[in-house]
Amino acid sequence: MRRFGLFRIGKLGFAIPLLQIQKILQGSKYYVLPRLPGAVAAVLVDDGQLVPLLDLGQILGENSHWEQPKQGYQVLVESEYGTVAFLADLTGRIVAEQKGTLSTITVKEKDCGTIGKFDYQGEEYNILDINFLAIEMTQGFWQNKPDTGGARRHQ
Amino acid sequence: MTVAGNRNLIFRLGGIGFLLELADVVEVVSQITEALDPGRSDIGQGIVSALQFRQTWVPVVDPALKLDVFSAVKLKDKAAIILHGSEGNWALLVDQVEELSAVENFKPCEVPFLLKVAAMGFYSQIKLLHNEPMIVFDPECYYGSNAVSA
Repeated sequence: MRRFGLFRIGKLGFAIPLLQIQKILQGSKYYVLPRLPGAVAAVLVDDGQLVPLLDLGQILGENSHWEQPKQGYQVLVESEYGTVAFLADLTGRIVAEQKGTLSTITVKEKDCGTIGKFDYQGEEYNILDINFLAIEMTQGFWQNKPDTGGARRHQ
Repeated sequence: MTVAGNRNLIFRLGGIGFLLELADVVEVVSQITEALDPGRSDIGQGIVSALQFRQTWVPVVDPALKLDVFSAVKLKDKAAIILHGSEGNWALLVDQVEELSAVENFKPCEVPFLLKVAAMGFYSQIKLLHNEPMIVFDPECYYGSNAVSA
């Protein structure tokens, strides 16, 4: 039975397969480092290791959420390339797949790191492709350009 | 102040912590305004000014330019760390010199694989001090024949 962690950050809902969630922290301190890629807001320190904190707002064309969630969760997720973290509001929950409805996505959404949608109690959550996002958001393929409406790939 | 011993010097730039091994540190100068000559700059080399130090002029390098760090600290409030390099003394412009800390207080910490490309050429080592990441500052990346222009 597959289960998802369902989270929200601002208006954006996102789902992460439970098996990929390594840890959920609350109130961890963030640190900005020089020359972080545009979609990496900061790093946090967990068990003596640095974890890149990705700004999901830049992926799906939302305005950056980086300023908001000082009291939210930090969701640490395993990727093939190391652990990454996402910010989330204090509304997270774990839900079994059969409790909601899975749906397909457009090609454009797939290109933005979403592999599907999960509808739960009338709310829509983007199922994230963590490996794709980890690479795309940390290797400079995404830029923070609010004037262009969010995420844009380098040409 | 003159510095020595088996400790690291902590300085800040744009709120970010850096550590500097003391081997190359000559002195920390906290009042620099009167000793600066901004006319002697070479921005291509990262040199923003010259500083009169011990009856001679030494180049002043602002690492914030290369690191793309925003600093809200005004020039008159900054400090200079005088370093001894292969081409003589030079000054590193920083927001604040914070403290000296014993080397054993720092714990090694790897730059995450996903951030290595972005950090390449700017820093390669990070250590934790009280669980805060401190970037190991490599002077040779910023001034001298091995430095690469920003």
